[in-house]
Amino acid sequence: MIGPSGAVFLLLFVAPFAFLFVVSFWRKKMFVLEPDFTLVNYSETLADYGWPLAFTLMIAFAIAVLTTVLAFLFAYAIRFHAGRYANALLFVTLITLFGGYLVKIYAWKTILGTEGILNSALLTLGIVDQPLTVFIYNPGAVVVTLTHFLLPLAVLPVFASLRGVREAGLEAARDLGAGATRVFRDIVVPQCLPGIMAAFTFSFLIAAGDYVTPRYVGGPYTSMIGDFIEGQFSLRFDWPAGAAMSFTILGAGLAIIALVRWALGALRPR
Amino acid sequence: MTTVSGGGPGGATPLVRLRGLSKKFGDVAAVQPLDLDIFAGDFFALLGPSGCGKTTLLRMVGGFTPPSTGTVEIDGQDVTRLGPEQRPTNMVFQGYGLFPHMTVRQNIGYGLRIAKASDAEIAERVGAIMTLVRIGELAERRPDALSGGQAQRVALARALVMRPRVLLLDEPLAALDLKLRKQMQEELRRIHQSIGGTFVFVTHDQGEAMGLANRIAVMEAGACVQEGGPEEIYLRPKTRFVSSFIGEANMLAGERRGGTVTLRAGIAFTDAGPDGPVVLVVRPEAIRLDGGTAGLGTTGRLDDVVFLGPYVRYRVTLASGEEIAAHSADTGRRAGMAVGAAVQIGWEAADHRVVAGT
Repeated sequence: MIGPSGAVFLLLFVAPFAFLFVVSFWRKKMFVLEPDFTLVNYSETLADYGWPLAFTLMIAFAIAVLTTVLAFLFAYAIRFHAGRYANALLFVTLITLFGGYLVKIYAWKTILGTEGILNSALLTLGIVDQPLTVFIYNPGAVVVTLTHFLLPLAVLPVFASLRGVREAGLEAARDLGAGATRVFRDIVVPQCLPGIMAAFTFSFLIAAGDYVTPRYVGGPYTSMIGDFIEGQFSLRFDWPAGAAMSFTILGAGLAIIALVRWALGALRPR
Repeated sequence: MTTVSGGGPGGATPLVRLRGLSKKFGDVAAVQPLDLDIFAGDFFALLGPSGCGKTTLLRMVGGFTPPSTGTVEIDGQDVTRLGPEQRPTNMVFQGYGLFPHMTVRQNIGYGLRIAKASDAEIAERVGAIMTLVRIGELAERRPDALSGGQAQRVALARALVMRPRVLLLDEPLAALDLKLRKQMQEELRRIHQSIGGTFVFVTHDQGEAMGLANRIAVMEAGACVQEGGPEEIYLRPKTRFVSSFIGEANMLAGERRGGTVTLRAGIAFTDAGPDGPVVLVVRPEAIRLDGGTAGLGTTGRLDDVVFLGPYVRYRVTLASGEEIAAHSADTGRRAGMAVGAAVQIGWEAADHRVVAGT
C-alpha cells in the first residue's frame, strides 16, 4: 500500500510543487524559461503586487472567519438541537455541494445585480425608486459569494469533531458549576479545535487562491492575487513570476494559519 | 452495613427531602409521585431493575431533569428550580463524563477553577483527593489512557473534591468487571467512612446495594415500594417483588381465610390479615432438611445437591409441584443425602413472611 500511494503522492503533489518552487527562482527570456537562481521574482512580487497580496490576505481572512463561525453555529445546532432532523439537515448541506461553483457565482449575480432579485424586491416595495448598485461589484459581494460556496465544506469537519463531544461531559461541567458560557468555552470549543482549524484552513486557502469570483462579482477595485497569478501564466507566460507570486501568497497564508492556531491555543485547558 | 453515622429516620431533619416528586416523559410516568428522606451521613441506595425510574429520580435530585411535580429540598433549601451548577450536589456519571481534552489533574481541578479557588488551594485539594482515591500517579494522563477502574476513580475524585453536601452516583460500578467491582465497592466504603459525607447511588445490583448502603429504597415501575435498612428489606420484604429482587427467596402460593393461611403445599398455620391469595416467602438459608425442631414443614423429593464451597445447595420438589431451594452451611451432611429420596423440610415461623398476591 505504501508503494503505490507514495508514487501517487510524489507524482501528483510533490513533483509539480517542487518544480514550480524551482521555477520561481528562474528567469524568463523571450517566452522561454531559463534556469537560474535569482530572488528577483520575489522582490518584484512584493514591489509590484504588495497591495493585491495584502488585500487578498485580508479578504480571505474575513471570509474564513465568517465561514467558520457560521459553520460552527450550524453544526452546533445540528449536533445538539436538531434531534431527529440532524441527518436530514446534514444531507441538505451536502447536497448544495452538487450545485457547483460557477452556478453559485451566477446565482449571486442574479440576486445582487442592478436588475437582480434584491433590487426588484426593493423597487416593488417602493423602498427605493432607482436600482441600488452597492450590492455587487465590490469586495462585499465576493465575501457573500465565497462564504456561501465554502459553508458546506466548513460544516463537515466542524460537525465531525462536534460529534465526538459527549453529553455526559457537558453535564459534568454544569455539575461542577460551569454556566452555559463556561461549558461552551471550556468543554465544547477546545474539543473541536481540530475541526475548527480544518474549516478555517480550508476556507482561508480556497478564498485566498480564488480568481473567478472576484472577476465576476468583485468589480474593478477588488484586486485579488489569484487573478494576477493566472494572468502571469496564461497571458504573459511568465512562469517564474507566477510561481514566485504563488509561493509568496502560500507562505503568507500559512503564516496567518499558524498565527490563528497559536491564538486558539489560548483556549486549551490549564 | 451496620454503622449508621448521622441521624437516621428517628427525628433528625433530613438533608434531602423529596415531596411528591414525579416525572413524566410524554405520557410515560418514569417516576410516580413519591416522598423520600435522605439523612446526613447516609449511604443511600436507589435499587431497582432497569427502567424502574431510579436514574431519573437521581437526575432530578442533581438538577439535570426538571420534575413534573413535587419539590426537591436540600439542607432545608428548595432547589427544585435550580440547575446542577447551583446545587450543593455533585454527580459521578455512569459513563464518567471525563473531559477528554484535559489531564486527570485538570479534570479534577476544573470545578475548583470555576469556583475561582486560588492556584495553591486547587493544587492542595486536588493532590489530597488524588491521594484519597489512590490515583496520584495518574495526574498527567489523559482520560483515553485510563482503564475503566481508573476512570471511575477520577470521576469520583472530580466530584468529591467539590465537597458536595450530597454525592450522587449513577450505577458507579456497572461498567467494571467483577473483580474490580468488588475492589471499588471496598474503596467506596472506605472513602465514605473516611470523609463521612452523604452518598446516594443508583444500582440494579442488589448485592451492591446490600454491600454498600445503610438504607435502601427499592423501586418498581416508577414507584418506591419499600424503603429501609438492608436487614429490614432482606428479612421483612413488603411485597413479592421486593422479596424476589433482594436475594434468593422461595415462594409458596396459598390462601388466607379467617386468619388461617393454607398453602398449596399442604401446610396450614394461623396468620392474621385480610382474606385472599397470599404468597409465603422464605429464604433458602432458613430451610432445614432434618425437619426435627422446625415449626412448619412438609416432605418432598430431593432433586439436586450442589456443593458451593461455603454452603451446600439442595433442591427439593414438593407434592404441590413447587420447588424449594435450601442452603446449608453444614457441608459435611450431604454425604448421607441421596438424590431422589424423600426428605423432610421445615422452617421456623419467624423466618417467613406472608405477603398478599399471587
